[in-house]
Amino acid sequence: MAAPTSAYKDRQFLAVIGDEDSVTGLLLAGIGHVTQPPDSQKNFLVVDSKTDNAAIEEAFERFTTERKDIGILLINQHIAERIRHRVDTYTTAFPALLEIPSKDHPYDPEKDSVLRRVRRLFGE
Amino acid sequence: MSGTGNREAVFPTRQSLGLMKAKLKGAQTGHDLLKRKSEALTKRFREITRRIDEAKRKMGRVMQIAAFSLAEVTYAVGGDIGYQVQESAKSARFRVRTKQENVSGVFLPAFESYITEGNNDFGLTGLGKGGQQVQRCRETYARAVETLVELASLQTAFVILDEVIKVVNRRVNAIEHVIIPRTENTIKYINSELDELDREEFFRLKKVQKKKQRDTAAQDAEMRLKKEAKAKADSDKENDEAGQPDILGDQEDQDVIF
Amino acid sequence: MEGLFFNVNNGYIEGIVRGYRNGLLTGQNYSNLTQCETIDDLKLQLGPAYGDFLASLPPSPSTSTLAARTTDKLISEFRYVRANAVGSLAKFMDYLTYGYMIDNVALLITGTLHERDTRELLERCHPLGWFETMPVLCVATNIEELYNSVLIETPLAPYFKGSLSHQDLDELNIEIVRNTLYKNYLEDFHSFVNTDSEMAGTPTAEVMTEILEFEADRRAINITLNSFGTELSKADRKKLYPNFGRLYPEGSYMLSRADDIEGVRLAVDGISDYKSYFEATGMGQSSSGAGNMSGGAGSDGKSLEDMFYQKEMEISKNAFTRQFTFAIVYAWVKLREQEIRNITWIAECIAQNQKERIGNYISVF
Repeated sequence: MAAPTSAYKDRQFLAVIGDEDSVTGLLLAGIGHVTQPPDSQKNFLVVDSKTDNAAIEEAFERFTTERKDIGILLINQHIAERIRHRVDTYTTAFPALLEIPSKDHPYDPEKDSVLRRVRRLFGE
Repeated sequence: MSGTGNREAVFPTRQSLGLMKAKLKGAQTGHDLLKRKSEALTKRFREITRRIDEAKRKMGRVMQIAAFSLAEVTYAVGGDIGYQVQESAKSARFRVRTKQENVSGVFLPAFESYITEGNNDFGLTGLGKGGQQVQRCRETYARAVETLVELASLQTAFVILDEVIKVVNRRVNAIEHVIIPRTENTIKYINSELDELDREEFFRLKKVQKKKQRDTAAQDAEMRLKKEAKAKADSDKENDEAGQPDILGDQEDQDVIF
Repeated sequence: MEGLFFNVNNGYIEGIVRGYRNGLLTGQNYSNLTQCETIDDLKLQLGPAYGDFLASLPPSPSTSTLAARTTDKLISEFRYVRANAVGSLAKFMDYLTYGYMIDNVALLITGTLHERDTRELLERCHPLGWFETMPVLCVATNIEELYNSVLIETPLAPYFKGSLSHQDLDELNIEIVRNTLYKNYLEDFHSFVNTDSEMAGTPTAEVMTEILEFEADRRAINITLNSFGTELSKADRKKLYPNFGRLYPEGSYMLSRADDIEGVRLAVDGISDYKSYFEATGMGQSSSGAGNMSGGAGSDGKSLEDMFYQKEMEISKNAFTRQFTFAIVYAWVKLREQEIRNITWIAECIAQNQKERIGNYISVF
């Protein structure tokens, strides 16, 4: 019943999709990783008002399904809002998806996909 | 009989009755065990849920403090360091590893953060100005990320437990509402079929017995008639030919057989 | 004597800049700002000073856009002054922008090294450090081309020449490149104000020397403090110290040999100002490493950086007590920059509900 070991033993990185400040802060903490060239892949995406939703979705797809070395995906809540349909339908355990608050958007538990599931389960 | 459609396709024999009884017993034991497992998991699940709720709130605070320390950096450096930080990121210093924890036979993975030594992409950031704030901000954010990792563990556990509990509950329900009734039905069916057979057999025996009794009665009557006739004949012709007693003897033999 | 002809060319500018200085926010303004409950209130309070520039902002703007708008005001005023400046003052103001140019070029180098689209980098460049040929640099696709165009197209060429080759740009950490350039820039600026015929021996040279010496010392101390625990070797570190300033040469030499905060404290012991900063921030008593001088986030103690900013502001404020000097332009830009930082800080505190530290701004008026 547990996920096979292979599903997570290589997952050692965190990935982040967020606004500039959140990404900067998390990178300062040292989560940033760029894979070896030639296909240098970053494990973070900076989203600003100019980034379109397709690019966010693509990054989301890349971090959740394509890359097998990511254990936790952090995403700013207000960005998760923009691709809410994808976030809500994402139920896989690995990588763990975590909605985090950003500087300009304080955390709202009502919008969190996991907390909503919690509420639904306990009929609150 | 009820539940004809909801039973297993077995021949109603005593052997399959035995099998079914064993199966029912097994199903009941399994049901009890699974029910207990489900309860244990649910207990754990509720605990995790509560902790997630707490952790999420904590995360809100921690991230706010972290964001604020970044504001301090912006203040001290006097400019935006975002781009530079993004470009100088090379190798992750902060990584996670996964370990397992066994809860009632379910392996729950947990993330554990660790810092790889030696590579520091941002050691020189803010060298001329604001370096101390940058370092402090890094520490604050590292602590924040630790909280996030903790939360991620809880959440993964939540997702997996949720899944497992669903599966277990499905099984419990399947056993409770499908397998047990079906097995019971089958047993009932076999029992009734066997009873039916018993009754048929009994009836047949009865019938045979009755028939025999009737036959016997008929023969008795016939014999009595013959005896009477013979007695009459004996008395009629006392000294007749000797062939007669042989035939009588045969008939007496047949009587013995009955 | 220097006052005799000063007003012929520069009187107007001096008047304008003194006018701008009077437009700076005062302690009273700041205490009003800190009372604000929302960013919109803050915007309203800033109305008299920044009215036109904030008018176009949407309700509840983010702190970064607020900072950008307030910077816009500084830029437009600076450009106006620059357009009216002639002779040495014009040169002086150009020098002022070189510092920002260094940051911009460093940004472009970073972008080119990582093969990023340099055009989007232009948006991130500091407008004060904008020079006309900057878009040309974006054409460069590799680091060597960039290096050559920097040499040809920018006024920064002398700072590159002799101390950095194009391989260095590739190999050295961008921070080292930036600080090397900055060191060369400070030295050049210092010699400019002391040798230019219009400035040498005037109050300009006097005040600017004080400011630049302070800047040089500040950088030397910061670089030393921030390099502990990094791969920056002592020899390399020494190369980043400007070769003037109050600490130079004995202090710099001691800084170059310092291993910990205690060493830095000893090095600056001779200068009473810096010594008192170290005492005030409690550094040197506990030599457990940089970054703990104010006990982590949340304490109200001032950090060394704050002390330096405070000092810089005081020097800048005092510059206005002198007449017939270009230094007021420099001082005004620095004061205005600090004001922008203060506003950003206060806005940040309000936006993030961290009111207890809102008083951490630096106000000298």
